[in-house]
Amino acid sequence: MPRARVPLGLALLASAALAGASPPAERAAMPEGDFTPVVAPGPATKSVHVAAFGLDRRPVTNAAFLAFARAHPEWRKGATPALLADSQYLAHWAGAAELGAAVGPEQPVTRVSWFAARAYCAAEGGRLPTWYEWEYVAAADEARADARQDPAFRERILAWYAVPASRRLPPVGKTPANLYGVQDLHGVIWEWVEDFGGMMISGDSRTQGDPDKLQFCGAGALSAEIRDDYPILMRMALLSSLEANFTTSNLGFRCAYGASR
Amino acid sequence: MSVPMSVPRRLVPVALLLLAAGAAVAEEPAHVHVHPTEAPAPALPGGSLYQLGVTVDAADGARLALDSLRGTPVVVTMFYSTCTSVCPMLTLQMQHIAAALDDGERARVRFLMVSLDAARDTPPRLEAFATEHHLPQPPFIVAHAAAGDVRAIAAALGIRYRQLPDLSFSHSSVITLLDRDGVAAARTQVLAADDPGFVASLKAALR
Repeated sequence: MPRARVPLGLALLASAALAGASPPAERAAMPEGDFTPVVAPGPATKSVHVAAFGLDRRPVTNAAFLAFARAHPEWRKGATPALLADSQYLAHWAGAAELGAAVGPEQPVTRVSWFAARAYCAAEGGRLPTWYEWEYVAAADEARADARQDPAFRERILAWYAVPASRRLPPVGKTPANLYGVQDLHGVIWEWVEDFGGMMISGDSRTQGDPDKLQFCGAGALSAEIRDDYPILMRMALLSSLEANFTTSNLGFRCAYGASR
Repeated sequence: MSVPMSVPRRLVPVALLLLAAGAAVAEEPAHVHVHPTEAPAPALPGGSLYQLGVTVDAADGARLALDSLRGTPVVVTMFYSTCTSVCPMLTLQMQHIAAALDDGERARVRFLMVSLDAARDTPPRLEAFATEHHLPQPPFIVAHAAAGDVRAIAAALGIRYRQLPDLSFSHSSVITLLDRDGVAAARTQVLAADDPGFVASLKAALR
């Protein structure tokens, strides 16, 4: 598995020092494979080939992001320009370089923009996963690489989507590990992906003037088998509603490693 | 046609940052005497595109830091050279906007077209595109950017895109006016007709 080839950054060193015995973020080795996304990649193409890559087993925590912010002052709370993060960036933290009593170090970090998430992953020698990569991993349950057709699997995810966003976030690593040993893809937070801007509910220039194709995410573009896969449709709706500087109380991220293709 | 970016929400934090920048200037120690001609440029507004710190490759191969355009209004869009559907209209609309200015005005604007196709739209290819489409450089700048920077520029401009298996791109067509500091002052998705409001905003930015 291609790991970070650059020496571990200052952030990680600082993280280890701060967190004491806590190990650095673990990464799962994702095997290459073919994946059928809910939206066909193209008119004549149903599946995509996902190359092998590395992925954080758990979302990035407040403690890890704090270490990053301390090592990169331009990403501290209150230091980011509006282009890169909105005014609610890390709003729940107590200060520029402290979490405060109300924020758990092992909770996933939220209220981070896409730009901030990318900067964090770059400092770790990684990147954000692509949407295909994320969904490829998230299709697995504890035993199967693709559990998306299983109504029980969908129900489990939807039950979380019904939980009010105002609840206190649990620590990372408390949900069952999936087939690849990756946790918290469902049931904790929403996550940024590198190409969230590829989700187009409207304004797609190639379909102007064709009412049947106005929305390529619309039902007409969905294959029959997965038209009722509401968890994935909800994730797509969320991603398509985001701008890169947005931050929300339940949107975090994890990093991927190795070239994407 | 819907505009995905929520402009007011973005502008409020900009205003706050501008206020903060003003306060920082006021706190500068009184004993520092800076000659006006040597004064550093005022802090970049928080909403400026130039906060990205991105450098692109112009069609002539020259490296161009985007923030070197500061001081000049910029009309910016993203396209790709092999596009046969909407991009020709996008290019034509950029030319129409340029044609709506007089020569003096046009000389004080840059029309920046950044390719979405980092892999294939190399500077020589963009140079050929500019020649073929009669895009004088300047005021046009037809530019290549690294793949990661393409995503960042598109994200900052609210441009959505995705590459299809045939290597074409599905993308939203947005033309944005940046003021002298790189802050979005107007945007249009009108392609098939003139957009007098956008041109008026551009002329206002030149005053």
